[in-house]
Amino acid sequence: MSRRTIGQLAGVNVDPSMPAVVVDGVTETFRLFHERPGGLKERLYRLRRSSYTDFNALEDVSFTIDHGESVAVIGHNGSGKSTLLKILARILPPDEGTAWTNGRVASLLELGAGFHGDLTGRENIYLNGAILGLTRAEVAERFDEIVDFAGIRPLLDTAVRTYSSGLYVRLGFAIAVTVDPDILLVDEVLAVGDAEFQDRSLGRMKEFRDRGKTFVLVSHDLDAVREMCDRAIVLDRGRVVFDGPVAEGVELYRQRVASSVVRQGARPRGTGRVRVEETLLLGPDGHPVDEVMPSTPLTFRVRVRATDDVEACSVGLTVTRGDGTHLYELHTIWQGVGVGPLVPDQEAVVDLRFTAHLLAGHYGVTATVTDDRGRETWAVAPDAARFAVATVPGGAGLVNLAASTSVSEGPALRLGTESVTGPIPVSRLERRRREQ
Amino acid sequence: MSVESSPLGAAPPERLLRRASKKLVELYLARDLLAQLVAKELKVRYKNSTLGFLWSMLTPVLMTAVFAVIFTYVVRIPVADFAAFFLSGYLLWQFFQNSCQGAIHSVVGNGDLVKKVYFPREVLPLSHVLSQLVHLLLALLVVSPYLVYTRGWSVLTHLPLTLGAMGILALFASGVAMWFAGVNVVFRDLQELFIVIFLVWFYATPVLYPLALVRSGWAGDAADWLATALQFNPMTWFVEMFRVPLYGEVTVNPAFGPGADPVVAPVISAGPGVPSATVVLVAIAWALAAVLVGYVVFSRRARTFAKEV
Repeated sequence: MSRRTIGQLAGVNVDPSMPAVVVDGVTETFRLFHERPGGLKERLYRLRRSSYTDFNALEDVSFTIDHGESVAVIGHNGSGKSTLLKILARILPPDEGTAWTNGRVASLLELGAGFHGDLTGRENIYLNGAILGLTRAEVAERFDEIVDFAGIRPLLDTAVRTYSSGLYVRLGFAIAVTVDPDILLVDEVLAVGDAEFQDRSLGRMKEFRDRGKTFVLVSHDLDAVREMCDRAIVLDRGRVVFDGPVAEGVELYRQRVASSVVRQGARPRGTGRVRVEETLLLGPDGHPVDEVMPSTPLTFRVRVRATDDVEACSVGLTVTRGDGTHLYELHTIWQGVGVGPLVPDQEAVVDLRFTAHLLAGHYGVTATVTDDRGRETWAVAPDAARFAVATVPGGAGLVNLAASTSVSEGPALRLGTESVTGPIPVSRLERRRREQ
Repeated sequence: MSVESSPLGAAPPERLLRRASKKLVELYLARDLLAQLVAKELKVRYKNSTLGFLWSMLTPVLMTAVFAVIFTYVVRIPVADFAAFFLSGYLLWQFFQNSCQGAIHSVVGNGDLVKKVYFPREVLPLSHVLSQLVHLLLALLVVSPYLVYTRGWSVLTHLPLTLGAMGILALFASGVAMWFAGVNVVFRDLQELFIVIFLVWFYATPVLYPLALVRSGWAGDAADWLATALQFNPMTWFVEMFRVPLYGEVTVNPAFGPGADPVVAPVISAGPGVPSATVVLVAIAWALAAVLVGYVVFSRRARTFAKEV
């Protein structure tokens, strides 16, 4: 009883009338020293001239999270996701603005942080539990649950430095999920362990979410994000660029990944003897397109110019999904066609025809020029063309297999036109497969 | 209301008192963590050694043996039972030095933890002070038969006073330990300077010699300034306070003077007694000041530990 009063004093109990998380105008600045400070010599040196640049990991970030919301924070590496999570976890104080959390916060930023190799599993459970804010009594109460979830009972009295890395992480996770906070912050920890353990940990988090607790996830695994969260906050260079439904957020992030690749490598690269002069993506009517229906025949037209005498070369295309997944690759040489011979400044136009048997999403096409054996790359135009496939009723998954259905025996019923249109997260498909 | 009470941003100064009391509540809630960390320190230290705790007794015992030989037979320090005299000061000194030495690395050495998990950072240096306090208690237990043998049974009757003195010193050590831990994060040279600082500090503290000996003018009048200077060293007061109930008070012999008979000892060693109110009050004042300064420095630094570790 007295503990609860203390808990209220310290503000760790939930006040349902207020949101779970309020972030208001948060800016976090990191000082990047050009030469690491921390020594006497550097100190004296810095008295004369300071050598650093300030870098804003977060700039004026504001949002509110209500109780029971599950929110994903996505963005490129270095966009400030982890910094944001650390601010919510109180590890870093904001340099400007304020961040409030309402209720007990637990963060899974790193599993097994604070384990001591020389201590046994049993001792580390108590130590790590205490680090995560559990009292000794609370750990004792959950001890068996932790041990069974991690599956370490035979090794309980062995020093953890003898544990395998997988076991180490499993124990870390098992302790962390028993904290039972009001707000759970998770940073990329889903990516550890074997498939079976990942399933169990995902299950644990879903269970947590379904109990109406607040959940904030930072991840690059967009499938997991889509599966776990209802809302997405997209960060780009420390700023919130999107805050809304998860499907839209993930799509926007995919596009940004694609566009940032283009921005970086928009200029065709290559040291070879052939340059990519121009690329065009043409629809069935011969006009450039950027959004098509599934299974539309497309033509990728590449105009190349030789800068040297070329016997023969091969022109190819690579189709990738917005997040970089390699979907399809084709080179003229694979079909027995070489381009050449070419004299300097002579141009050639190559048409690569393919059918977009794809489902809704954003895709990029990269043009490459290689020698006639496909060994040496002479020129690359990354994401030379991009196109979107429109959402239409049909199948679900990654590719359009153009299926049709019929009941060949027995009675059938017309139920309307309900259909799934979006791609199903791959992880879910894989799990289904395993469960069978 | 409870939302208001957990601001993560900069708090205006008028909330300072509230923040301080919140910190105390937080530390109270973190007492299990503190206990676990202390247990960790103790376990880790002796886990892989067969002699275990005896190792921590080896240093004071050897030091005592060496110093007892030197300062009894070579350079005579005129106190009764030099070994007991030295031990009663040296155990205390060792507690203080080891606390600070452990604490100075506590934040930097736990960088992974500091960057990944939130908990009141104060527990890191404090866990070292507390685990050293356990060592001190064990060490006292080990040497008490010897002290009783040389100084009489009154060592035991004055035990509550010894424990009280340890409590006040633990406060002082906590403050100094927090200061070292906090400053070392931004100024890593401190850990190199540490050995030198503590070596000088050790000789500037009346552990090896009684303060009364300096005051008596035994080494000539020139030592007057030294007696004054020693009073500015806080550890002087703690050693004096700790030694009186454990060994006994060493006072200037009134019969000793420039014209006195050479056989008159400059100082008199009494049996275990009660430390004077002045000594205790000065020690308490130092302890409170150290905790205040150490805590303020530490908590200012702690805000950005995760960035700097």
